[in-house]
Amino acid sequence: MEDVIICRCQEVTRQEIIDAIADGATTVDGVKRRTRAGMGLCQGKTCERLVARIIAEQTGRPMSEILPPKSRIPVRPVKIGIIGGEQDE
Amino acid sequence: MNRDADVIVIGGGIIGCSAAYYLSKLGKRVLVLEREDITRGSAGATDGVVGYHTKKPGHQMDLAVQSIAMFENLSEELGMDIEYGLRCGGMQPVEDKMQWDILSEIVEEQRKSGVDIHMISIEEARQIEPQLAPDLYGALYSPTGGKVNPIRMTIAYFRAAKRLGAEFLTETEVTGILKEGSCVLGVQTDKGEYRADAVVNACGSWAAFTARMAGIEMPIKPRKGQLIVTEPIGPFMDCTLQCARYNVIKFRPETIKDPAVLKMGASLSIEQTESGGLIIGSTRELVGYDRENTLEAIETILKRAVRFFPALKDVCFIRAFAGLRPYTPDGLPIIGRVDALEGFYMAAGHEGDGIALAPVTGKLLAEQIVYGKESYSLEPFSPNRFL
Repeated sequence: MEDVIICRCQEVTRQEIIDAIADGATTVDGVKRRTRAGMGLCQGKTCERLVARIIAEQTGRPMSEILPPKSRIPVRPVKIGIIGGEQDE
Repeated sequence: MNRDADVIVIGGGIIGCSAAYYLSKLGKRVLVLEREDITRGSAGATDGVVGYHTKKPGHQMDLAVQSIAMFENLSEELGMDIEYGLRCGGMQPVEDKMQWDILSEIVEEQRKSGVDIHMISIEEARQIEPQLAPDLYGALYSPTGGKVNPIRMTIAYFRAAKRLGAEFLTETEVTGILKEGSCVLGVQTDKGEYRADAVVNACGSWAAFTARMAGIEMPIKPRKGQLIVTEPIGPFMDCTLQCARYNVIKFRPETIKDPAVLKMGASLSIEQTESGGLIIGSTRELVGYDRENTLEAIETILKRAVRFFPALKDVCFIRAFAGLRPYTPDGLPIIGRVDALEGFYMAAGHEGDGIALAPVTGKLLAEQIVYGKESYSLEPFSPNRFL
């Protein structure tokens, strides 16, 4: 059970997330910085709630109090050329 | 008097965690107070350039030389891989003769600190970084610069300090500084009072607020840097690379005529991380404590990226982010004792050099606190220059 992969993009296991919480992480962002869970291609779209649930379970805090990570652009991966164009100035 | 620690460090970023580690190493009982979480602020919202060529000639460069030497064995010393790319090199391609002349002049000054920085032709630059656009003018090259994972580095200092006995209280906000006359007694927090002989203000871009609680005015302002990260790709580049405008904006802002460039301070800074993603930045914006991304800034950065690395146009970016760099009026960090308040120390104001200068900042500050005198003088960085 503890070797189940929670973040598939970065291959982070449930045990690594439990270790991060023991290390002081109390938010999804705190787990992210310690384990890279949520830093991959999907930016936590799959694992974010799973991570939050593990934090709630380990710390005894209700789910509603577990801070989600900050949302940033882009929503989906975007080719640099679409915004950066072919040439500068 | 009842004491909770020998030294209280306010701030759990790269500077606070470094100071906590070196103080613990010298036998001090350290308490770190962090209002959110370790590496939650600027240390977790930056790139990992550990280069010489982006440092101001003179005192800052001399300090950087000592700090970068400490990186060589840092992973072993801290017992955790900080993904330090030793001597990956640093490069700044230039677009025209004017930039070449400005950089050449700065390079002459920088070389006085004994570091290898020199100008090379675009052909030589493309032998080192083959993905570079061929129609550039030339480049500054610093073969011995490195790069690091700043989040892992902060966490490595945090864990190493903890192993030496330092205590870390996160989600604990300092709300006041306890004083008696001109002597500091400790701090007031939202969780209660903590007392110590010395208090270190390592609050980065927020350090002016903490200093003000102690009755001291420190001219530190937040300067926003916006960056993006790409999807992981195969080996693309080794160097950390900035466009020449980076150093021109930093050291010769008076030569920039375009007000839009000056306001946003946008220049290219790019590196490939160990996980394969590229971190691409950055801006230098004096817009208060706002940490949002703007499409305008991202567009400017990405245009710069494609200008220097045309192949990047087909690579996806997956996230934008922003961090606040603690700016000081003279471009030098503020490190050391405050004469007007016994027991109060500053370790902030590193702007974009906090990661590179963190090891030496923590080490020398710890020496000053423990022995009363540091092994390499912090005098040029003293907070008293502003008081």
